Amino acid sequence: MTLDVFRYEGEQRLTAALGLSAAFALMGVAFVAAAPLVTADVATSAQFEQLTTQLPQPFVQAFGLESLASAEGLLAGEFYTLFWSLFFGIYLAYTAAGSIADDVETDRMDVLLSAPISRGTVVFEKFLALLVPIVTASVVTPAVIALAAAYVDVTVPLAELAALHALSIPYLLCCGAIGLALSVFLDDADTARNAAIGLLFALYLFQSFVPVTDVGWLANVAPMAHFDPNDILLDGVYDVAGAALLLAATVVLVGVSRHRFIRMDIQ
Amino acid sequence: MAAITTEGLTKHYGDVRANEDLTFEVREGEVFGYLGPNGAGKSTTIRTLMGFQSPTSGSATVLGHDVTDRKAMIEAKRHLGYVPAEMGFDEDVTGERFLRYQASLKGDSRSEELLELFDPPMEREIGEYSTGNKRKLAIVLAFMHDPDLVIMDEPTSGLDPLMQERFYEFIRDEQAKGKTFFFSSHILSEVQKICDRVGVIRNGHLVELEDVETLLDRGGKRVSVRVADPVDREAFAIEGAHDVSVAGDERSSRPTTADGGERDDGARATGDRPSSADGAAKNEDASSGGRDGTSVSFTFTGDYNDLLSHLVTYDILDLDIADAPLEDVFMRFYGEVDPETESAASGTAEAESGPEGNADV
Repeated sequence: MTLDVFRYEGEQRLTAALGLSAAFALMGVAFVAAAPLVTADVATSAQFEQLTTQLPQPFVQAFGLESLASAEGLLAGEFYTLFWSLFFGIYLAYTAAGSIADDVETDRMDVLLSAPISRGTVVFEKFLALLVPIVTASVVTPAVIALAAAYVDVTVPLAELAALHALSIPYLLCCGAIGLALSVFLDDADTARNAAIGLLFALYLFQSFVPVTDVGWLANVAPMAHFDPNDILLDGVYDVAGAALLLAATVVLVGVSRHRFIRMDIQ
Repeated sequence: MAAITTEGLTKHYGDVRANEDLTFEVREGEVFGYLGPNGAGKSTTIRTLMGFQSPTSGSATVLGHDVTDRKAMIEAKRHLGYVPAEMGFDEDVTGERFLRYQASLKGDSRSEELLELFDPPMEREIGEYSTGNKRKLAIVLAFMHDPDLVIMDEPTSGLDPLMQERFYEFIRDEQAKGKTFFFSSHILSEVQKICDRVGVIRNGHLVELEDVETLLDRGGKRVSVRVADPVDREAFAIEGAHDVSVAGDERSSRPTTADGGERDDGARATGDRPSSADGAAKNEDASSGGRDGTSVSFTFTGDYNDLLSHLVTYDILDLDIADAPLEDVFMRFYGEVDPETESAASGTAEAESGPEGNADV
């Protein structure tokens, strides 16, 4: 395997990866900088107390309102739950959803497949190129957060922070794999991308609200159910089995996508 | 070994029968023209030959490899070049970067030489390219690994005339080195210029498979004659004359029936349809040529002796006999009854197929 497609696609993703990393890093810095204010004033205020008791409990959990009392709580409950896992997950699913369908639609796939290269390789290496934004952002973001925390003198548990990012990789890959599957099963690139956004957001809401119902176990279909930043950052609980499950799901989804792409007509 | 073979190759997209039972062979070292109007099914065949899609039924081989055998096709593509109709290149990389990418995938033994011949602006982003520049890049990419067979889907569209000529010359040189070309086109003059044999496809069916020479022979001669005295169109209703038009004669826009049922096989029941536009154009040419006498022009496929003995009965001021343009020959194929409706043999079907055929060309 020469990884030519991966190298090229990865290079194409590099600019976006750097932009994304910068955005996440800035956001992380903003959260760290605001931490003293929020933890000291807002989270302890009477109105906030009242608000969290009045809102439905799943809602409070979904948006991490219960953990605003500490810097790591703020980071885990807001930054890592919403921005990192939800938005980054959606971004990756969206990008992956375009990776095959858009190339087919714009005839780029014809040019690529006129070279002596297997379709299986194309799918696999295009998927692998998602690692460029994932790895870049996973290195830059925690590093900048750690530095910012040291600078404003806020304690953020570094080991947990590193673990969080490591464990988020299977989760993010799984989100990308969902997008990839949509990319080969839906004909239209825009449809695939929109479906990716919709599906990921729906899964997020689903796993937030379903647990309080009788069929709470259904929440396990959502990748977010197997990666919880709060558990890692606040309690130091690492769901390694969940990460393994996400990796397994990724392998299955990529395999199914590959199988489909190898057999489909490219029009 | 034939470079390309197809055997009963059929491709349906749902209800759309894009290719129907195509059987032909492209010999090693020839330039094969694949001719047909837009929507005839040319690209469908090419996509099947490239292994982008599987045939509904039938089979095809490229360089001896079955197009449905994925592993074999990867091997075939080491020796196969492709110039796509729609040039899907990444818009936000430079030509140079994209060429390096392609080189990493399929090798590069002659891009430098090709870039001297066709010189797309390699340092610019492809998104800024004109169609002509994209086409040049596509040609470079198709030939850079020095393939044995090159499949081209309307490769000259977007190229300026000078570059087209350079491209034709390039193909002739490459053919002399033993390369094979499968060349789809709806432009007949280029097929006439560079192809050895032609397959004509219409509505997914292969309607003709000929040497270009034979096709031209069957097309006959275009005869333009200016005679001193006024003549009637009927006077030229001799055997083998089609599409007779007389300058200034309003009726020339109507079909001539002189040849109607006498022609053999493929060309039967045609002759008439294209004459309206064609005849009118010829009339203009003729009348602008000179005011004296009467200009008569027609396509002639009969015995030349008959033609000449007919002509000597007139006082001839000017005479021009040339190969009928392939356009005219081509029009005959598209003037035909749709092969699918032919069996139904209903008058309305025939009438309907006519304008459609014309509109396509």
